[in-house]
This record gives sequence, C-alpha cells and structure tokens, in this order.
Amino acid sequence: MAGFSREVAKRIFAEELKSSNYSFRDGEDQHQYAPSYLLTPTGAKCNRVFVVGTLTEKDDIGSDTEYWRGRVVDPTGSILIYAGQYQPEAAQILACMEAPSYVAVVGKPNLYQTDDGNIIISLRAESIQRVDENTRNQWIIDTARRTLERLEALKNARPIPVSNDFATADNVPASSSSSTPEQDTDRALQHYHTDIEHFRQMVLRALSSLKADLVKSDMPSEITTAKRATIESGKKPAATPTAPEEVPSSRKSKPKKSEPFNAWPEAENEEEVETINFGKKS
Amino acid sequence: MKELVDQIKARLRDQKIEVSEEDIESRLKKLIVDFRVPEGEARRSVLNYFFKEHGIVPQVRAGSEKVKIAEIKESGKWVDLEVKVLDLWEPASETISQTGLVGDITGSMKFVKWTKSDLPNLELGRSYLLKKLVTDEFQGRFSVKLNRTSQIEPLDVDVEAKPASKAAQLVTVAQINEPGQWVDLKVKVAQLWETNSEAISQSGLVGDETGAIKFVKWVKADLPDLADGKSYLLKNLVTDEFQGRFSVKLNRTSQIEPLDVDVEIGSIAAEFSGALVDVQKGSGLIKRCPVCKRSLAKGVCSEHGKVDGTYDLRIKAVLDDGRRVQDLLVNRETTERLLNLTLEEAKQMAMEALDHEVVHSLIESKLMGRYYSITGPRIDRYLLVESINEIPPVSRTQVDELIASAEVA
Repeated sequence: MAGFSREVAKRIFAEELKSSNYSFRDGEDQHQYAPSYLLTPTGAKCNRVFVVGTLTEKDDIGSDTEYWRGRVVDPTGSILIYAGQYQPEAAQILACMEAPSYVAVVGKPNLYQTDDGNIIISLRAESIQRVDENTRNQWIIDTARRTLERLEALKNARPIPVSNDFATADNVPASSSSSTPEQDTDRALQHYHTDIEHFRQMVLRALSSLKADLVKSDMPSEITTAKRATIESGKKPAATPTAPEEVPSSRKSKPKKSEPFNAWPEAENEEEVETINFGKKS
Repeated sequence: MKELVDQIKARLRDQKIEVSEEDIESRLKKLIVDFRVPEGEARRSVLNYFFKEHGIVPQVRAGSEKVKIAEIKESGKWVDLEVKVLDLWEPASETISQTGLVGDITGSMKFVKWTKSDLPNLELGRSYLLKKLVTDEFQGRFSVKLNRTSQIEPLDVDVEAKPASKAAQLVTVAQINEPGQWVDLKVKVAQLWETNSEAISQSGLVGDETGAIKFVKWVKADLPDLADGKSYLLKNLVTDEFQGRFSVKLNRTSQIEPLDVDVEIGSIAAEFSGALVDVQKGSGLIKRCPVCKRSLAKGVCSEHGKVDGTYDLRIKAVLDDGRRVQDLLVNRETTERLLNLTLEEAKQMAMEALDHEVVHSLIESKLMGRYYSITGPRIDRYLLVESINEIPPVSRTQVDELIASAEVA
C-alpha cells in the first residue's frame, strides 16, 4: 500500500517478549532510518507493542535529566519500560504514577546486548496511562487470542531444513522489502526453533490466572484480601531495587541511554522470582 | 539580389501568397550579408519561412485514406473522416483552437485542432468531412489532429454517430471500484469542503445508502453549485482513484438534477474494536476557521490566514486490534458524551489552566489504553465515530471458551 501507515501495536506476553533476541531493520536498503523490528519466537514482527499490566516499581535512574524506568508485570512475567527526555509525556505520567497500579503502555521494543552477551528486551514508552482492571483483563484475552493465532500459523508453517541449525540474526536472509506474516513465521521458526507447546502452555497459564482472578472477584468477601495480596506482592520488588539502584548509576560515568540496561545486575534474578510468584498467586 | 527576390515572389504567388518585396529583400539580406548564407540556401530559407507563415507545408506525398473511426488503430497515419461533432471541450492550451469528440457509426474519438491550422471552427452537432487528419495515440487511446494541411468540408447529410461508447450507468457508491468509468449517482451531499485549488469549484462528500464518496466539481465544468444536505441525480461523472480510494469528478459533460426525494446516506457503517493506542495532535479543544471550518494552527487558517476561530471539541485517535489500525474522528457531540464534559466546561478548564493542552491530557487519561468498539461510516482513512463504547468486562465464560480452544489446539 502506498504512503505512510502506522505500525500495528503487537500483543505479546512478557515471557515471550523477554525470550526474543532477534531484531532487524526492514526495507530495501537497510539504512539507519529504516524501521527496526523485533521478531518474537511466535513470529510477531513488532515495531510497536501494546502491554497492559501492573506497574510494580518505578525509578528515576537518570542523573542530569529524568530518566524513568518501570517494571510492568503480566501473568507470564515482567518487562521493563523506559521513558526519558525524548518521551516527555510518558516520562511525566510515569513520574506521577504510584506503584502498584494497572498501566497500559504503548512502546517500541528495544534490544540491548550486555557485555557478557545477555540480551535484554525493554520497551521505550511512547505513552503510559493508568487503566482499570477491566482493561488489564481485556488485554490478557486479547493477547492470548493473538498469540494463539501466531502459534496456529507456526504449526501450519512448512518444515524447515535442519541445516539451518546455527542460523543467527546475521545470516537469516533479510527480506528485500516488508515481509509477509508467513515469512515472519518462517523466520521465527528458523531462528528460534520455537517450541510451540511451551508457548501454548504460557497462554494457558495466563488465561488460568485470569480465570482465577475473575472467580475471586465474584466472591466479594475475598476481594479485599485479593487486593491486599496484589499490593503486597507489587510493593516488595518496588522496594528492593532502591538500594542497588544508587550503585550502578554512580558506577558508570556515562549516564547515557544505554546505561540503564546495565543497571539490573543481581537484582534481576531475584525479582524474577517475585514476578513469577505474583503471576501464579492469582 | 533583385533577381532572387523576384523568384521568391513568383513562387509565393503560385501559392496565393502576397508578400512585399521589401520583406523578402530584408530577410534575404540578413541571411546573405549578415550571416554569410549561400544564395541557394538563403532562397530556400526565405521561401520556407513565408510558406510556414501562411500555413503551407511542402506537399505531402501519399494522400490520406478515408476511414471509419473504429479502423484507426495506428498513430501517425493520414486519414479522412466523415463525422459528427459530439462534444466540444475547453482547450487546455493556447496551441489548441478546438478539441472535443467526433463520432461516426463505428465509434467516437477525441480530436484536436491546432491553433496554427488556421481552420474554421467546428460546430457542435454538425457533420463534416475532415480531410488529411493525422492519427495520434496516447496511453492506448487514439485521437486525430487537425493541422495546417487538414481540410474541413461541412456535410449536408447528418452523419449517424454512435453515442459515446461508454454510456454512464446508474450505480451505487459501493459499486464504484474502478477508475475511468462513467457513472450516474443518486446521492445526497454529506459534506462540502473548502477547495484548495483554483481549478476546483466544489469538493466534498456525497453519499447514498451504500456509503459515501469524495466528489470534485471542476470550475471548467461550469455547473451549478451543490447544496449541503440536498439530494441530486448526478449524471455522467467520471470515477477516479488515488491510493486505493475512489472519487467522482464532475466535468463539462456532467449534469446535475435536483431530486425531490431525500437520499439516505449509508448506514452500512463500519465497525472496529480494539485498544486505543494514540490520541493524536489536534484532539481536544481546538479552534476552527469560521469560514471553512478547518482547524486552525496557532490561530491561522491554511486557507484564510489569521482569523478569529470558533471553539470546537473533538478527538482524533487510533484504535489498534493487534492486526490492523483504524484512525478515528469523534465529533463534538460524541466527545462531550464520552468525556462527560461540555465544550463550555472544556473552555473553562483551558482558561483556568491557561493551556488548551489540559483537555488533550484529559482525553489521554480517560481513553488511552482502553478497549473500545466503534461504529460509523468510514471516510478516507478515518472512521467517523457515531457510537463508541467500552468493551464490556471480560466474563468467565469468555475465558473458559478461550481456554477450551487453546487446549484442543
């Protein structure tokens, strides 16, 4: 189609987003202004992502200028979101927001490789807004549907030759122009050798936890306890990183954009446990 | 020199051209004396000049052939035609004295009569024998050109002409799916836009029960203006397409007939459900140009310059279902309902905050990230929102169904 068209915001659960490690630029000549995409294991080619979840923590990790980082949790895991001087409105809203609360985030996926080769996926927030629980539930249903659709496409994709075992982002052939969903699916299979069952279970876990939430809220007596539980499990990780927070920001001399990605050393694993607990709890 | 001049004069007289000796001599002198042109060449040059001046082309070899319009299949051929003038159009250039449509029993074809041909004008509806025309072709369509060598002979008999082969058909808006078609439409004027070109007298939207479509009425069409909200039978429009969207053009051959009945405009409304992922610039409290209703940028209308705007409230946003995006426009009425805020209250808000942006922020905080289903006509890339509702809360059955489908997958 001719002319400019806005990139669709893909629906990806945090767990899938975090297991993505393949990004590329699209277009005939891969110049620096060509849109960049993150290809997820189920074959979602995303330039933009829409996430609704619980903001469990937020910190200003900038030194001179404000640079806000938040952690958004869905039933499958958590994802980091960032908003700085180039996203002034998102940064402002994040700054004024209380954790925990439900948030809807539209953002651009960002792939960062640490010195020791780990890949961290985060979202550069275009917009952040507080939403209600209903919206969060809608998003889980929505994301489950879209993910199941992609899994279905993966199942129907043609089998790939074994010789591509060691395909990396570099030698997977980049399409000459924008790719079709089928090509994205093939590419995802080639690159990730996606375990379809694994992601199907992820969707089922997310839906089961949503179902449990709905059952609980049907029983008014338990609403309060459920709510308190949410707040508690949300607060803990919010409190923990404040201490290690200071360390990395002073450790590095360059307070540039890339820096914050390094700023999750030991804390990262510890928090994983927290977020998984949170997901399972409900 | 004198000899040369006499020779030339004699040659010209053969062609019934009278030129003064002084004229010939001065031209010859200029060439021979000033520009050192050999006499023979100078003579030829001067002769050609005066021939050209009087529209005479060195006699063409083969004569032209009398053909029927349908037989014209090649460009650059000399032909004679017996035709009737079916239509005359405004020439697009000064080099053209007349252009239009001529036809015979086999079909119709565009003709062009060059100004330089110095030929008498053709009259609409009259039949002629046109001699020594040159055929031409552009993008697969043929035409005939009348030049200096062409001749026009009026005929007393009426040449029977097939009416323009592409007779317009009465269609509905939804049926328009191809450019370059001649159509008739029974429509109501839904919107009139300020035109942005001097060639356009009116443009806007017309619609019938199947939908709405952009229309353009050329200034040259010389047609009466359409009135907002009135229904018309528009005859002989040409369809056009730009970036996958269709429009109809009213040209000189089009006709406008007011209708007594009121045409209902398309309630085949589009629907879309998804998350609201962007509230765009130009949402909230805006000012519009009192003349053309366009939104103002810093108090300046792109058409009418600095004006005292009138306040309006609207939302421009994007819904996204994870597969497609849909731009939407929410008018003041629906915006007021959606925000539970009247235009007056919005003005008050902005006044207190000394900033229009507060309304924009309010819209963002109320709508961003939430799931809506909307209905309304789709126009251009926008869906004009008639109804907008938050998607009802997720029910347990919904989740159960999805779990069941995921389990069998």
